Amino acid sequence: MPALKVPNRPNVADIPIIESRVPRPEELVVLSRPLLEATIRIGELLRDCPAKWAFAGDLGEILFGVNVEPDHLTILTTSAGCNEISRSLTAFQTQVPRIGERQLERSAEIHLKPLPIIIKSYSSSFNIEGLRLDVHGDLQIKVGDWDWGDPLDFEPEYVYVVSVKVPAAPLELKMELYRGLGWYDRVSKIHAAMARRHHKIV
Amino acid sequence: MSTVINEPAVDVVCLGVGYMSGVVATELALQNYKVVGITKGPYWDYVNDFSMTKYDEWGVGLGRKYDSPLPLQTTTIRNNSSQFALPVRRYTMPIQYHALGHGVGGAAQHYGGTMGRQGPWGYQMLSRTNQDLGVTPLTTPLPSSINPQDDTHDWPLTYEQYEKYYVAWENAHGLCGNYNGSPTNSSTDQYSQKYPWMSQNYRLPPHPLTPVAQMFQTATQAMGYNPFPHVSSLASQPYTNSYGVTVNPCVYDGYCGGPCDYACETGAKANAAYRTIPAAMKTNNFTLVTNAYIYRLDYDTTNNQVTAARYYDAQGNIHVQPAAVFFNGMWGYNMIRIMLLSGVGVPYQYNSGTGTGTGTVGRGLTNGYLPFNGTNVSGTLSIGGNSYAAGNGSGGSVDIYDLMDDNFDHTGQNFIGGSQIGMGGYLGGGPGNITFAGGVGGPSSSNPNGSMGSAFKAKQQNKYLPKTVGVGATRFAPDLPTFMNYVDLDPHYTDAYGDPVSRLTYDWTPNTYNGAIGLVQKCKDILTKMGAQNITVGNAVNPGGAHNDWWGHHLRGGCRIGSDPSFAVYSGYNQLFLSPTSGVNYFGAGEITNTTGDTVPSGTHVAGPQSYRAAEGIAKYLNNIKLGGSVNYLAA
Repeated sequence: MPALKVPNRPNVADIPIIESRVPRPEELVVLSRPLLEATIRIGELLRDCPAKWAFAGDLGEILFGVNVEPDHLTILTTSAGCNEISRSLTAFQTQVPRIGERQLERSAEIHLKPLPIIIKSYSSSFNIEGLRLDVHGDLQIKVGDWDWGDPLDFEPEYVYVVSVKVPAAPLELKMELYRGLGWYDRVSKIHAAMARRHHKIV
Repeated sequence: MSTVINEPAVDVVCLGVGYMSGVVATELALQNYKVVGITKGPYWDYVNDFSMTKYDEWGVGLGRKYDSPLPLQTTTIRNNSSQFALPVRRYTMPIQYHALGHGVGGAAQHYGGTMGRQGPWGYQMLSRTNQDLGVTPLTTPLPSSINPQDDTHDWPLTYEQYEKYYVAWENAHGLCGNYNGSPTNSSTDQYSQKYPWMSQNYRLPPHPLTPVAQMFQTATQAMGYNPFPHVSSLASQPYTNSYGVTVNPCVYDGYCGGPCDYACETGAKANAAYRTIPAAMKTNNFTLVTNAYIYRLDYDTTNNQVTAARYYDAQGNIHVQPAAVFFNGMWGYNMIRIMLLSGVGVPYQYNSGTGTGTGTVGRGLTNGYLPFNGTNVSGTLSIGGNSYAAGNGSGGSVDIYDLMDDNFDHTGQNFIGGSQIGMGGYLGGGPGNITFAGGVGGPSSSNPNGSMGSAFKAKQQNKYLPKTVGVGATRFAPDLPTFMNYVDLDPHYTDAYGDPVSRLTYDWTPNTYNGAIGLVQKCKDILTKMGAQNITVGNAVNPGGAHNDWWGHHLRGGCRIGSDPSFAVYSGYNQLFLSPTSGVNYFGAGEITNTTGDTVPSGTHVAGPQSYRAAEGIAKYLNNIKLGGSVNYLAA
């Protein structure tokens, strides 16, 4: 550990300098203000929603300290929950609930082989103060030509976001999902966040 | 010779990067002002810097390895102006109870996390006391029977005016609790002037209560008091704050409180490094300068402007950092010291002949900590305990505000104010093997083998799994500002760079002792109601029965805010006064700027709203400059 150099003194002072590294901005986990405000807004609007739901996607992860940069909001729920949420957020709705399928931009990486990922859900979309909110009910995943997986089920964990307590998809579920898809960079990010929280790493 | 490096000018320079500067830097960086924060210590990353190394009672508790090094700078202490002050050269009790912070987050990197709003009376202590006594004008000093050489003044703003800044502070730092004990939490009824009502509750739920806390809660409720969970800044749940910074919850590892030395390895312990500064850094408008020792502010006496901060880097180079505005968020003595070294503000001069003084910088010092010796009451509860490491430094307990401020009848008493009273913190919330009693003891006449072998084991068993739990209270009334207690520059001792260190002239004031005597019976009644056995009231300790022989970090006053520059350094916007109607491009906030306050409600929490008030003032000031305005003072 280096010692302090005091001007006009022949020797260094017996004072250690602690050289802890200052993090770069991109290493800091901070939710952008528009997303923060939209999260709070949705949390307030769905405070009494009886359906099981949780923030998922990148937003759900950053709420637990994972270093990702969400650009929209995602809610995971059931089909009934999707209808319930649509009723609560009618004023913001841009797409009514319907069953849809789409291929994700990123492929799965199974045994070094890229395979397309298709998701199917009963979903609706909303515009919350300029930000897109996707609500997925009974989300299923299909990799390559494999069979469809079961609808994603989860027990939400809770996070306090300034004035609201909101449910979010547990990191364990996301980690399991990413492992199955071979997205080890995302596994690593969750691993880092869980280590910082000193939670059990599965 | 040192190399002189001229840094590019910015909008705001924050001196120190602790709690106060964290708020100011973040608020202004988010408004697109360019901000530089300068700290004498490092940036602390809780994962890399604390995860493994904090479980070190020797290094942390005695070596104070996370704290401001005394060889770099210390202070000297004495009890009165006729004594020769001696420098503090050791880190541990007695002499220095809590070490100063060092680096980003400051002392809040290793505090217990206690918070608590100040009640309305604390902001108008002088005028409300005079009102109760029927004395006019309301600015009349307190009678010498209560406080000799009294120098008490009201704050420039009322509790009601600060309330919204409390909210901002609590949203940013994620405090845990459940209101403050007001029976109605109304801002308009008869309780609104007694209890710190809240326009919104604390953002996180309180930590789980201990059995002792629950007994205290039941007993005090039955007595007509209004208990509430202790307010803590250690996150009880995962939290995303008002700046979008995500916060990990407390893991109750037990290495937290105790002698308030232990840093947090998950970032649950609120401080600037894990609540505000990340948001400032994310804007790219904030520059952090670490391991940089500020030694002067350049002050232009013609235009009454601070023009630059000068600091040494670790290699001995001199940096000159100009800015439009300077915010001083340094801890207590250091805020005063840099002002006195730089000719900023009017130095306080005590006149022992008249018992008064002139000037303001260094004046009105009070102590948030209290004498070690005072009239006390103690007893035991017949319940078992578990003091193995678990819990944290400020959760689990319950408080009442019913015996502080003017919330109870003071008829016949010779003190003002009172104290927050609470019980039931986590027994294992902080290690105490080395720094406090309970470690290995040497031989004595009654125990020739010392506390070794079987005696040691028995002691440890009783220590960690006690069959009864001791409870007690020594509740002092607040320390009051007098002309006698102050901070100035020591004429003999210097820091590592050869500049004078600060000198603390301080002794306990009578109100504290008289309050302890007055409150002891009420504390005894609570213990009795809790079912405590062997209740003992200690002998009365009268004023002058003990003298201050240490320094703590909860120093208040000394650099006060107020409505009048005859006694206050800063205005209601925490701006340095030049005259009653003009100010300087220099602001400051911290516990040392708290004008007054009752005992125990956290001085840090009370300082917090001032940081928001200062940030608001600085933004107004900068905006005025931008618009070509000439207003240099912000009327509160």
